[in-house]
Amino acid sequence: MDRPPISPGSPRKRGRPDALRAAAAGLLCAVALAAAAAGVPGLEPKLLPPEQAFRFSARTLDPGTVEARFDVADGYYLYRDKLRFSVAGGAPALGVAALPAGKRKHDEFFGDVETYRGVVVVRVPVVDARAGQPLVLVADSQGCADAGVCYPPNQQQVRLAVPAAGAAAGPLVEAHPRKGLFN
Amino acid sequence: MSAPASDRVGERSLSPQATWGGLSLPRWAAVALAGVIALAVGVWVARGTLEPSRVGQDATALYGVALPDLDGREQRLDQWRGKVLVVNFWATWCAPCREEMPQFVKTQTALGGKGLQFVGIAVDQGDKIKQFASEIGLNYPSLVGGMGAMELSKTLGNDLMALPFTVIVGRDGRIVHTQLGQLKQAQLDSIVGKLL
Repeated sequence: MDRPPISPGSPRKRGRPDALRAAAAGLLCAVALAAAAAGVPGLEPKLLPPEQAFRFSARTLDPGTVEARFDVADGYYLYRDKLRFSVAGGAPALGVAALPAGKRKHDEFFGDVETYRGVVVVRVPVVDARAGQPLVLVADSQGCADAGVCYPPNQQQVRLAVPAAGAAAGPLVEAHPRKGLFN
Repeated sequence: MSAPASDRVGERSLSPQATWGGLSLPRWAAVALAGVIALAVGVWVARGTLEPSRVGQDATALYGVALPDLDGREQRLDQWRGKVLVVNFWATWCAPCREEMPQFVKTQTALGGKGLQFVGIAVDQGDKIKQFASEIGLNYPSLVGGMGAMELSKTLGNDLMALPFTVIVGRDGRIVHTQLGQLKQAQLDSIVGKLL
């Protein structure tokens, strides 16, 4: 632990400044000690909540296509075969999404599985949609952290609206927008 | 820490008094007081952010849990009161969970006679649990918890609701250890060894 930051060479003033400085030093030491002590039971790795480990967003590309996106944090991965897209309320209908190939991995129980890391972009066809129609895209996913824990199947959703024919791609909408420092 | 500073201040100053708006305190007392307050604040802040573990708490709520086993019979956890109880939340979709379970099977065999009891709570479907249980020759009960079991684990300190999560309860009904992530054999041996 560092000594209190009192420079021995400087002339000492009496009374309050010294006491305050010493008190401040004591305070720093104590806070540091408490933080260190608090860190000890936290030997468990610092893990992200699933909505931050697997950030889901989507945008409309055209009236017949939405683009779903996962930003998988470093040290985390999603299982390809657990990824599902649907629409809340069932309308408009979705076509079959062509999931990109993942990284193959042998699982002793499930056999060969594929996993996604980093950015995963999936184009999902939308069927019989009309312009302006609300589209709540729901993603079911399941993933794990390299630190050795897995998260249960998780559902996230974003609210979109079907664009008019010929309109530009819509803005990317996040399922869990980042809020301020303290959320 | 603050002690050397207060000593030095005390040596050099003829009137080691700090005045705080008329209130006069010896300087060492002011420093000590500030330290104690800061320590209390620090601990309080750290506790608030880390969510204190349930270690040391009574396992009454856990004992009160009743869940079906793989044959559909309801099992209450308090039937294992008085034993050293290791409750392991797991699922087949959790590879790290599956990895650590064969070692639990071995430990159950080795220490079951001394009063150690493993109980699994699976956040999963019965058929998958059965399949995996037979694959590894599961020799302790695994109850079928479903997603409700994740909420139960949260009340025991699993704030992230991730798996595996393990709770060790002593014979006296107190929670001795909770762990998110795999429990290494050496760690398990060391914790359980003190309780048996």
